[in-house]
Amino acid sequence: MLDAADFQQAFGAMLASPGMSGDPAMRRALAVHRNTARKAARDALFANYPVTAALVGDNAFSACASSYVEMLPPREARLCLYGDRFGPFVDAWAPFVEAPYLGAVAAVERMVTEALFAADWPALDPVGLTRGIDPGAPLRWHPATRTGKTLAPAGSLWLAHQPGADPDALDEVVWKQELILVTRPGDAVEVRVIDVPTRAFLAGATLADAAANASGEGGDVAAIFAALLSAGAFAAETQQGENP
Amino acid sequence: MTMTAGLGFKLEHLDEALTARNPGLWFEVHAENYMVDGGPRLRALAALAERFAISLHGVGLSLASVEPPAQDHLRRLRALSDLICPASISDHLAWQKWEGAHHSDFLPFPRTRQALDITADNVARVQDALGRPILVENPSLYVDLPGHELDEATFLSELARRTGCGLLVDVNNIFVSAANLRFSPETRVDAIPASLVGEIHLAGHRPDPDPASGLLIDSHDAPVSDPVWRLYQRLIERIGPRPTLIERDDAIPPFNELLLERDRAHRLLEQRMPVDA
Repeated sequence: MLDAADFQQAFGAMLASPGMSGDPAMRRALAVHRNTARKAARDALFANYPVTAALVGDNAFSACASSYVEMLPPREARLCLYGDRFGPFVDAWAPFVEAPYLGAVAAVERMVTEALFAADWPALDPVGLTRGIDPGAPLRWHPATRTGKTLAPAGSLWLAHQPGADPDALDEVVWKQELILVTRPGDAVEVRVIDVPTRAFLAGATLADAAANASGEGGDVAAIFAALLSAGAFAAETQQGENP
Repeated sequence: MTMTAGLGFKLEHLDEALTARNPGLWFEVHAENYMVDGGPRLRALAALAERFAISLHGVGLSLASVEPPAQDHLRRLRALSDLICPASISDHLAWQKWEGAHHSDFLPFPRTRQALDITADNVARVQDALGRPILVENPSLYVDLPGHELDEATFLSELARRTGCGLLVDVNNIFVSAANLRFSPETRVDAIPASLVGEIHLAGHRPDPDPASGLLIDSHDAPVSDPVWRLYQRLIERIGPRPTLIERDDAIPPFNELLLERDRAHRLLEQRMPVDA
């Protein structure tokens, strides 16, 4: 009797190295299984990195994605979350050397994916604040909130590729570093390019810290706080005092 | 309303799905696409589940793997099941895990008694974690492996006897496997124990793009073929109506086009429904 563990080890090795099997029928079957799995993983990267794909075109993206799938295959069945290291991979992908912004765009898209599937939690909103807020209480981010700094205008490039974007938006993108804020107010993920005082506000552990940080960077604290509340950046504390 | 024919749910069809009024309509999703912490996609499925029966169809339990199902995977599937309260939960008679990687296809194995022990143990773990029985689907096969000790129908029947699981009969997979491994699809369909069948899948297939292989691929990117419809009719004429899914995962047509294909299955099922007294 062929031991199940031995069989799965041998079959897995043949899938990884197609030339190992001398049986033509087995080689044909291996090719089908390999192609099906790789297509599923590649399709997941197309779904999870649509702006990166749009920037380079389907053929160039597919070549990069195929290489990623080969080197870093899925570790679990949830392909909606696949590709957590795709941004650095894109950065290092030689055929994209003339497009040094692509890795940064992919990094923004990863934040968007993470925000899309993050836990639900009520956002801190102005209505909630009418009950008062303790400036010394912890100021917690909503589970979907992400921030990052990109060496290219990745947030602007992402925004220019969204439905309803100004047709001239892509031409108006200025090459510069950007600070990015990703949030999920309601049913859609939103991406904003933020300024240094806003980023400083977000780094505050309490409202008092946040205000001091933003003020120290020359920001309008009230306007920044209002904009971040509108973006759904912070988590509300429930009536039971729970936090995300 | 009794579940008759259902459709694989696609997010882009949400608005049309929520307003569909077809009698007996239900929806199936790939569970892993919704095994997430939260967000609008999960809320969309929850909204759909308020109007329709939902089937959670797993593509990642790796039931025939020598590794047991991952605890984290089971915990997430249970959480989704608790949220959606699905009509059924299913996965495949196959394995997918190798050296830490997840192979997103359904790999074959010799149907030995040892493999039956392993699979029964895994199915039992899943059912214990979910607190309910699951359905196990026959996969598409592309090579006639040596070393089988049990035929597929016997393996699945024994798996059901040991664990209490039911069967999800994919008629297209039988057709594809029969063409690739050169056996009679009618004989295979006739061997399925009627009492175990909880759901039926119908899907499209196409020839391997590599013409030299001569294989049919279970591609889910085309309408159900006429020979598969005939096999389906043969099956339900013998076992009676069962919830039947039109599976479409690629080259997705408009919702109304899918509904037309689904309605064909609905009519066939309706003809075999017991007449109310």
